[in-house]
Amino acid sequence: MKATIWTRPFYYVIAFLFASISLYPIVLMVLSSFKPSAEIFMNPLSWPEQFSLDTYRTLLERIPFMTYFYNSVFTSVVSVLLIVITTSLAAFYIARYTFWWNNLLFFFFLMGMMIPIKLGIVPLFLLMKDLGLTNSLWSLIFMYTAQGIPLSILILTGFFRTMPIELEEAARIDGASDLRILWNVLLPIMRPALATVIIINFIQAWNDFFFPLIFISDEMKKTIPVGMLSLFGEYSADWGSLFAGLTLSSLPMIVLFFIASKQFMEGMTAGAVK
Amino acid sequence: MKRMGKAWLAAIIVCLTIVAAACSQDEETATGEKDDKVTLTIGSWRTEDTEGYKKVIEAFEKKNPEINVEFKPSKNTEYNTILNTALKSGEGPDIIHLRPYAPGIALADGGYLEPLDGVGGLDTFTDEALSASKGSDGKQYGVPINMSTTQVFYNKKIFKELKLEEPKTWDEFIEVNEKLKDGGYVPLALGTKEGWLLSLAHGIFGPAVYGGEDFVAKIQKGEKNFTSKEFVQSIKAMDDLKEYFPENYEGVGMEDMRTMFFTEKAAMFPLGSWEIEVVRGMNPDLDFGYFPMPQQNGGEPAVTAWVDGSYAVNANSKHKEEAKKFVEFMTTEEFGELFTNEFKMISAIPGITSEDELVNSLGKAITESSTPYMMVIHFAEGNPTTKATFETELQGMYLGDQSPEEVAKKVQESAKSWYKPFQ
Amino acid sequence: MEDSSPANSRPSHLWAIHRLSPFGGTDIQFFDWEGIKQGAFIGLGNYRDLFTLEPFRGMFWNAFGHNILYFVIQMIVQNGIAFMLALILYQKIRGMEFFKIAYFLPRLLSVIVVGFLWKLILNPNYGALNILLGKFGLESLQKAWLGDPDTALIAIILVNCWFGIGFAVLIFLAGLQAIPHELIEAARLDGARGLTLIRKIMLPLMVPSLMIMTVLTFIQSFEAFELVYAMQGSQGEPYRSTDTLAVYFYRLAFGGGSGDSTAVGLGSALAVVLFIFIASITAVLLKLINKKQIDL
Repeated sequence: MKATIWTRPFYYVIAFLFASISLYPIVLMVLSSFKPSAEIFMNPLSWPEQFSLDTYRTLLERIPFMTYFYNSVFTSVVSVLLIVITTSLAAFYIARYTFWWNNLLFFFFLMGMMIPIKLGIVPLFLLMKDLGLTNSLWSLIFMYTAQGIPLSILILTGFFRTMPIELEEAARIDGASDLRILWNVLLPIMRPALATVIIINFIQAWNDFFFPLIFISDEMKKTIPVGMLSLFGEYSADWGSLFAGLTLSSLPMIVLFFIASKQFMEGMTAGAVK
Repeated sequence: MKRMGKAWLAAIIVCLTIVAAACSQDEETATGEKDDKVTLTIGSWRTEDTEGYKKVIEAFEKKNPEINVEFKPSKNTEYNTILNTALKSGEGPDIIHLRPYAPGIALADGGYLEPLDGVGGLDTFTDEALSASKGSDGKQYGVPINMSTTQVFYNKKIFKELKLEEPKTWDEFIEVNEKLKDGGYVPLALGTKEGWLLSLAHGIFGPAVYGGEDFVAKIQKGEKNFTSKEFVQSIKAMDDLKEYFPENYEGVGMEDMRTMFFTEKAAMFPLGSWEIEVVRGMNPDLDFGYFPMPQQNGGEPAVTAWVDGSYAVNANSKHKEEAKKFVEFMTTEEFGELFTNEFKMISAIPGITSEDELVNSLGKAITESSTPYMMVIHFAEGNPTTKATFETELQGMYLGDQSPEEVAKKVQESAKSWYKPFQ
Repeated sequence: MEDSSPANSRPSHLWAIHRLSPFGGTDIQFFDWEGIKQGAFIGLGNYRDLFTLEPFRGMFWNAFGHNILYFVIQMIVQNGIAFMLALILYQKIRGMEFFKIAYFLPRLLSVIVVGFLWKLILNPNYGALNILLGKFGLESLQKAWLGDPDTALIAIILVNCWFGIGFAVLIFLAGLQAIPHELIEAARLDGARGLTLIRKIMLPLMVPSLMIMTVLTFIQSFEAFELVYAMQGSQGEPYRSTDTLAVYFYRLAFGGGSGDSTAVGLGSALAVVLFIFIASITAVLLKLINKKQIDL
């Protein structure tokens, strides 16, 4: 589909306008991390007078960033894996098999999204304690998996339903089993939806600070957001270091996204148009 | 078609290795703890004190080599959530940094704390200091750590430049404000964005109007209440001060206030003694002092004081005896001196002097001329607390939504719902 | 497990049901709580108090109104703009990959970081927004954005839109791209253009993605917590103008900042009310949309 000649510049203006609004605060954060505190107050908008890495150096000396990083990666990756495996199977079932209760089942999954989970924090803490999981990354993995399932089911079911049924029928005639149809026929076309599920859940797990705050007290088991929270107390007024901390904590996520985004976005266009 | 089987297999293997890796990791830490030493943990909201506590703990461990102590603070605003969750589940740190008065006492009354029977050194403290962590059963549950004061800090350089003196009367105080304003400075670095700062500021300016301790005593007897003329006047005085607040004060929060003060844009900074450490850290060259608030009725100028934190022992701790040893250490002069010098705060142990002159002089002012922080000491109860109600309503007043009389009325209603002398 | 803390003293055979059910722990709603201590069983008393006793009643409806505003603004601003951007990107304009990534980047940040950054930008005295307004000679528009009750909540909601727009764009774009190409071409041959094309062909075929976004926006708006908390704390400052139901719940259940009193029973009652409300409206929404989908 092609736009006419005179609408095209207009599209660009809008697209650019919103892109700059989206990016500005992030650029601000990264730039500020190179400034000493005083400069942040005096010239909040300007380019740093000189790029100094001092803020980063002091920060890395004081916090075990690599440990936090490892914990965050481990927790996020395992949670996302568990979510993708469970929800692609469940959503396939809900979307493709009509039983009187599959709408109910769908809604039951969605309810997980509606419960103010913070209400359950004391029972959850007791549960983790009984399972011996306090101060273990597994407490977080279970929480994130459980939390991620509803949204993932919602997205995947929606997309499974839009899939033309003929594709499967052809495979079924060839004698393929359900699992095989799911794996060989549907999932490849589902790449955009899977990509969405993976990104969203990864972000969720990566950025959450509430559960590690409650479940984890061991310094060596903390994830990046919690480690970062303590920066607010310790450097409440040293904004240069604070910005360095914020940038460092966001950077891995942004880098990971850039590495993965090509794959995801391609999948998104290629998969869907066909 | 075979590809599929392999991919599943690969996924499962990846999962298993990760699980295995995680488990082996857990075991490592588990075996690491298997030495003879007892490990105590301290929970606190003072993340900024982590470095300082290392020295305190070192001093303690030198005397008690069989005990390991770890200081594990969590962020100020989430501390209570974390602590309450852990306590309700029968967990939590062995040694608990206790909020003063009502919130701390609530933990004691809930049975989550160990009474400090038999802990030596408690008699060093004044009754007022001990009252911040005395349970309703009359038992002592906490060792008071530090006193806090609120007062007006001022920039000596700016005062000299404009030839201003520390005010001795309320009128002089207003005059100083006027002159600072004319001189192009922000007279009072105070904003209304964060409610807690408003009850804190009222803690400084209020007693000067309602007449300090006498009025508090009458409140406690039920002879006066919050709709009494004196209290309403004190709210009005607060309202009048907004002329001297910075521009856009409704959007100015704690960080902005402090920044205005240490960048010498604002001349006076009404806040607590704990800010000394922070301000000195931000601008070591800043020459600042404090003055006790001059009273409207001509009484002695006073700083506002209260106990800011105590340390208690978790009733569910596995090492109560060792924990008690640690809190006992906190009653010693050695600790008091370490504490006050390390954190530039006022030790609750009488007679401890600090290397920081400002801290010292505030410590002295507590015993000589101080007035209690009424909202924290007596009115941090109810739901929402009367203190919190006061904060919200003051905010409403500064936003022009209501009059001082209405603020007083709502505070009275809140207090009446639980405060015995008013019922 | 054999400790004697109050929460553990129930019959052990109920353990699994209690802990593992979605309502695990919600029995606290039926008790009178004095701070952290469990009091007597008071049945539905907490619900009664929540809706009849001041200041709880006032705070509930105040927060409820804010949640509705949250939903409306997010639907219009976030989803509206996202739909427009998705349509633009659907034209395969050059640099499409860059734009998609740019819109999505904010979503990668932790809410704590988002709140902190925007607090700085919106700061009345040295924040970028007011400085920018000053540079364009619009001093009269400068404001204490987060300190003024008229703008504070709206500012937070708009930040939330900024945060969520990339996700909405991706969902809508995926929806657009799922429309069979032949259908659009056929409609074009019939002379459908611009808005007619969007309304007649694209919108109906995008029902799944529209449904996902509506339901998600609804749930998010009514559970709005983290961003409000990161920007304004647990008191809904200034003057309760940014209070939402979830923030109100947090305040009741955990107390405000420095050790304020809690009302766990009331908090649980509120959470249950909130859950039932969200679940029933979502059920209705899903039903409506399902029907519409079948009608087509």
